[in-house]
Amino acid sequence: MEMKNKIITFAFLIFLLSMLALNIIVPEKDISESERRKLEKFSILTSETLFNREFFNKFEKYELDQMVFRDKFRTVKAFTEFSVLNKYDNNNIFIKNGYVFKMEYPYNQDCVHDMSKKMNTIYETYLHGMNVYYSIIPDKNYFIKDNDKHLFIDYDNMISILNNEIKNMEYIDIFNCLSLEDYYKTDIHWKQESLWKILNVIGKRMNFSNNFNDYEYEKKVFSPFYGSYYGQAALPVKPDVLTYLTNDIIEKAAVDNYEYTGEDRNSQKVYDTGKLKGMDSYDVFLSGATPLIKIENTKNSSGKELIIFRDSFASSLAPLLLSEYSKITLVDLRYVNYKMLDQLVDFENKEDVLFLYSTMIVNNSNILK
Amino acid sequence: MVFSSITFLYFFLPVVLVLYFITPNKFKNYILLIASLFFYFCGEPKYTLLLIASITINYFYGILIEKHRGAKIAKCAVVSSIIANLLLLVVFKYSNFLISNISYIFNIDIKFVKIALPIGISFYTFQAMSYVIDVYRGEVKAQKNVFNLALYISLFPQLIAGPIVRYKTINNELTHRNHSFDDFAYGVKRFVVGLAKKVLLANALGEIWKLAMYTEQPSVLFYWLGAVGFTLQIYFDFSAYSDMAIGLGRILGFHFLENFNYPYISKSITEFWRRWHISLGTWFRDYLYIPLGGNKTTKCKWLRNIFIVWFCTGFWHGADWNFIIWGTGFGVILAAEKLFLLNFLKKVPPVFSHVYTLAIIIFSFVVFNSSNIADAAQYMKGMVGLLNIPVFSKEALYYLGSYKVLIILAALCSTPIPLHIAKRISKNCKLLPVVNYLEPIIYIALLIVVTGFLIDSSFNPFLYFRF
Repeated sequence: MEMKNKIITFAFLIFLLSMLALNIIVPEKDISESERRKLEKFSILTSETLFNREFFNKFEKYELDQMVFRDKFRTVKAFTEFSVLNKYDNNNIFIKNGYVFKMEYPYNQDCVHDMSKKMNTIYETYLHGMNVYYSIIPDKNYFIKDNDKHLFIDYDNMISILNNEIKNMEYIDIFNCLSLEDYYKTDIHWKQESLWKILNVIGKRMNFSNNFNDYEYEKKVFSPFYGSYYGQAALPVKPDVLTYLTNDIIEKAAVDNYEYTGEDRNSQKVYDTGKLKGMDSYDVFLSGATPLIKIENTKNSSGKELIIFRDSFASSLAPLLLSEYSKITLVDLRYVNYKMLDQLVDFENKEDVLFLYSTMIVNNSNILK
Repeated sequence: MVFSSITFLYFFLPVVLVLYFITPNKFKNYILLIASLFFYFCGEPKYTLLLIASITINYFYGILIEKHRGAKIAKCAVVSSIIANLLLLVVFKYSNFLISNISYIFNIDIKFVKIALPIGISFYTFQAMSYVIDVYRGEVKAQKNVFNLALYISLFPQLIAGPIVRYKTINNELTHRNHSFDDFAYGVKRFVVGLAKKVLLANALGEIWKLAMYTEQPSVLFYWLGAVGFTLQIYFDFSAYSDMAIGLGRILGFHFLENFNYPYISKSITEFWRRWHISLGTWFRDYLYIPLGGNKTTKCKWLRNIFIVWFCTGFWHGADWNFIIWGTGFGVILAAEKLFLLNFLKKVPPVFSHVYTLAIIIFSFVVFNSSNIADAAQYMKGMVGLLNIPVFSKEALYYLGSYKVLIILAALCSTPIPLHIAKRISKNCKLLPVVNYLEPIIYIALLIVVTGFLIDSSFNPFLYFRF
């Protein structure tokens, strides 16, 4: 008994002191790759922050963010939740058949109404007389909703509301063109190499001149691809392979990315391969998040232009649409207010407009400006 | 600072333990006092002065009473000390409640005062009052050393959430206490178990109540799930803090009394309050109920005494009417039990009395946890199916399924069954060597899991630009 108590005493002390020492020794990190966010930095102590509790509050946040083995500890938590407590999800994340899902719940019907209102306002403000289409991309959960115990949004109701309320736009239904296998296992997005069916459905409705099977693309692969859900799951999941399709049109396209300034703005490529080994490999498509990006097809002199109001799913689709247009303009309303668009986009003589949003954006449309 | 924080676990605690144990015995109290004041300062920088003022005032009252024992001045001193301590509570805890009620009754507009509730004021004020009253009653001698009294009142293991430690309990240990591996190991075990109860059970159970409160699909099942979740949460939250306090105290050589004794196995509300927050119950018994005359008086006065004690018990828990109703409601039930109900409960099968007790406890905690009476009434209507809502919803079934193991585990851990199993295993000679090896590993593993849960609470994926 005496020996056991000694062991407990020393084990406890050694554990606490080791963690203390490691937390002091290990240098602080700037970002968390698994959460894709900046981590709290040590804040300077002032008499004001000391007495208004800000310093100690920030210190706890700093310690939580900078704790050694942070991701390992999160794995321990995720394992306990799933394997010991038999919880159905951990931070809304769950894994099924090697796919990582995030519950999109609850269903925000108000946001759906708001989405239609926003789209109608944009049409009334800028898009009169143009061929305007809209399409909704189902999130991964859609494909398992009928035989799974998790909670899902009401997809039918969402589409029904949009179809009833959105005026002057033609709806292109792509729900049936996709299956779960068309999405990355560890990421939120669809795979570019699986978009043929969709491209042909869109092409048919938007009167494209060619069938997409007519174009030849070179397949380039990057592996291992750890998608955004990989870090959130905090559990061992097999990584994906990221494939991007390219051809001469794409390689020679001129890109004007408003996320950058100066010379960088016009020196971007459609595929920013430098991002493959960055925090988010999916940013290889059009260099990731940006309020506005214009892609010019130097090999198409038809003058036909397309404007896409979009989220990040369109980043991998737009390069494949380039062959049909002289120019594609992609607008992300999460980063630019629609009221400013007349200063950034020339709406004169444009023919085609496509609103392309995932169900997750529709269900959270309050993030659109 | 709270025990279930990374700052406490991996900064404050190891530093304090090392400093404490390498310091010679005669200076140990100073280390502990500095650590305790720093602990409080981290959470309440400005109100640390209030804590020091409370210590100083009560120290001088103790000395004054001791000096004039038996004289009228001692009586004046104890009365004025009680008034001073209660005044602290009234000003810092109840002023806005009083203002809102006076404004309402007299239909006048009095502005609220901008006073934040100092952490732990209800606990340390009650401890200080018990000290002064015990000195007056001659049960203890006044503490001559102000630092020792300061240590008693501010001792960090029990400072902000109890248990309410009586001065006489640790009087001797303030100056002469022993340290041993047995005490240290026992303290570690109690502390880690408490930490696990708080982080793994209470925090997770608390999510159920929030889910039930904000559900888009209210149902009878979901309301029950939320109420049961909170009933379990409050037990594990509060008893966990007491476990951690008792454990930390034991590591440092103090022996605090138990504060919880499996209250949910009770077969009456009378029994429940003997097992729930024991230190508060005995405080009110010894310093309010018995001085009022207790039950050794007329039935009318006895009922009055019960009402006063349970009004105060409710009011102590929070400055709002739902707490008062919660407390006085228990007073009514306890009076009924003492008058006739206990005899009846003894005659019925134990299952019935257990269900009766648990039902009252669950409904009482709905009142306790609601922001106002109207919300509580609405919630209880939902529980009994008076809100025209379905019996269950998909959402309720999902969370019932997702939390079922946690709820079963928590329900099991709220009984003495796990302790009995652990005792039987440790008494089994064949298993003893295995237990001896496994026990240290289990406690460190629990600490790692708890740390995982604490760190994950800050998990905050930045998804805004990711879809």
